[in-house]
Amino acid sequence: MDITFEQVTHVYGRKTPFEKRALNNVSIHIPSGSFTSIIGHTGSGKSTLVQHINGILKPSAGRITVGDFVIRANEKKQNLKALREKVGFVFQYPEHQLFEETIIKDVCFGPMNFGVSEAEATKRAEECLQLVGLPSQLWHRSPFDLSGGQMRRVAIAGVLAVRPQVIILDEPTAGLDPMGREEILSLFKDLHERLNLTIVMVTHNMSDAANYSDQVIVMDGGKPLMAGAPERIFSQVDQLRKVGLDIPETMEFLNRLLDRVGKKETIPAFTINEAADAVIKILGGVKDHV
Amino acid sequence: MEKIIEVSDLSYRYSDEHPFVLKDINFTVNKGEWLSIVGHNGSGKSTLAKCLNGLILPQKGTVKVGGYTTSDEEAIWEVRRLVGMVFQNPDNQFVGATVQDDVAFGMENHGVSREVMKERLSEALRLVKMDDFAKSEPYRLSGGQKQRVAIAGIVALQPLIIIMDEATSMLDPEGRKEIIQTVRALNKKHHLTVISITHDLEEAIHSDRLLVMNEGKMIREGKPRDLFKSTDLLRKVGLDLPFTVKMRNELRAKGVPLSDTALFQEELVDELWTLHSSK
Repeated sequence: MDITFEQVTHVYGRKTPFEKRALNNVSIHIPSGSFTSIIGHTGSGKSTLVQHINGILKPSAGRITVGDFVIRANEKKQNLKALREKVGFVFQYPEHQLFEETIIKDVCFGPMNFGVSEAEATKRAEECLQLVGLPSQLWHRSPFDLSGGQMRRVAIAGVLAVRPQVIILDEPTAGLDPMGREEILSLFKDLHERLNLTIVMVTHNMSDAANYSDQVIVMDGGKPLMAGAPERIFSQVDQLRKVGLDIPETMEFLNRLLDRVGKKETIPAFTINEAADAVIKILGGVKDHV
Repeated sequence: MEKIIEVSDLSYRYSDEHPFVLKDINFTVNKGEWLSIVGHNGSGKSTLAKCLNGLILPQKGTVKVGGYTTSDEEAIWEVRRLVGMVFQNPDNQFVGATVQDDVAFGMENHGVSREVMKERLSEALRLVKMDDFAKSEPYRLSGGQKQRVAIAGIVALQPLIIIMDEATSMLDPEGRKEIIQTVRALNKKHHLTVISITHDLEEAIHSDRLLVMNEGKMIREGKPRDLFKSTDLLRKVGLDLPFTVKMRNELRAKGVPLSDTALFQEELVDELWTLHSSK
């Protein structure tokens, strides 16, 4: 499902002393089947932006198209339920939303809410719990007996069980330890590749944005500042710094080294392996001049 | 060196049906040091933190803080006055309607007189660089600013030890930097003993000493520089490595003759530069 924003503006608390323009005339395109990361400083409009994709927020002006669905400003009657079945939303700290007596019931809640029979919902729940890697001996226990990381996976299974085509992730790894972070991100990468899911991820982690996405959108002051492949975006070091963003630590390190050897260039390298190769090249390349 | 905390043979479980989440833990904390306790989620490090100010009491062994034993009912309030704790979620710790009310709350509870309170309030806010926000309401603050207010509330009580329980894990990178800078200043300039419970090793490399927890046991202890020489163990218990260590290991594996000591990016750049200029 292609996602398109056309001149979308969102104003919070209109006609109150707290009026705030959180999105300002935003036009962006997220292609079907892409993995898009949205980065930006706290308060830049990232979360507001993604909450428009499944109609949690409605635009004050402009138009959003998600597949066949169109959401316009000032339009009352919209079939948001059908849209929300297609667009799953994993909120920040989704484990806070678990509520059922057992894990399996919790995962069934989503699909049954969309009219799926109990038998079918149970089947899907089992599939999705397997997908997120939760051992079956735990399925009939209370979700509240699990560790934080496991609870988060149950919450994610609940979103997957609705079988959305688009998944929105708002800081999916916040508060997780490094191993948990890697597990969750590889899970979405895998889902993205195997099921051709469109993924939109809001993140503060530049390395995650660089390593997992094929498109990065940079938000600043309610507007998209730039959009493109990670290699291109993270080469704009000065621009990113100006809006309070870092570059992936691999590149930060290379910049320090380049600075020291007196070279002025930017090397987009996102993994440790790529960065190490670049280091060797920088050192070797300089040696030839000596 | 003066020992401010002594933990001996500490074991703890939440109830009789549950397994022990802390098993035979022994360590001491020196006055004025910055100690990090690291381990993956569920390794027992937060439970351990709660033992250090008597929020929970061990079933076996003892915890002594500044000479007081936490299981001594007479001493528990003294222990809690000595040990301040900053928790993970900035939104769960704000009780006052404004920044200054929030910082004053703890002092009121401890019966500090109004004159003294005023003095300590402004001093504490200055320390965490929140003096310009004294009259601000919490919803106008960022996560990092809220955590700094939480720290000010603790500093105002003049404790000897401050425990940060994953206090940066819900913050954005900028908030994280603010907190690390604040804590460093408290530790270096004001000689407060800092215990940081964390799984962020980029933060932990700044501390004086590290304790590594896994499955309720303390499995290693040492200076960051020594500990990160043997990286297999840390990987095995589900901890990531600091960036510089990963980079250094990768370069060594690719045949670059580097030492195994660099912990900070500047150090590794220096070493590479030296290597390159001596060619």
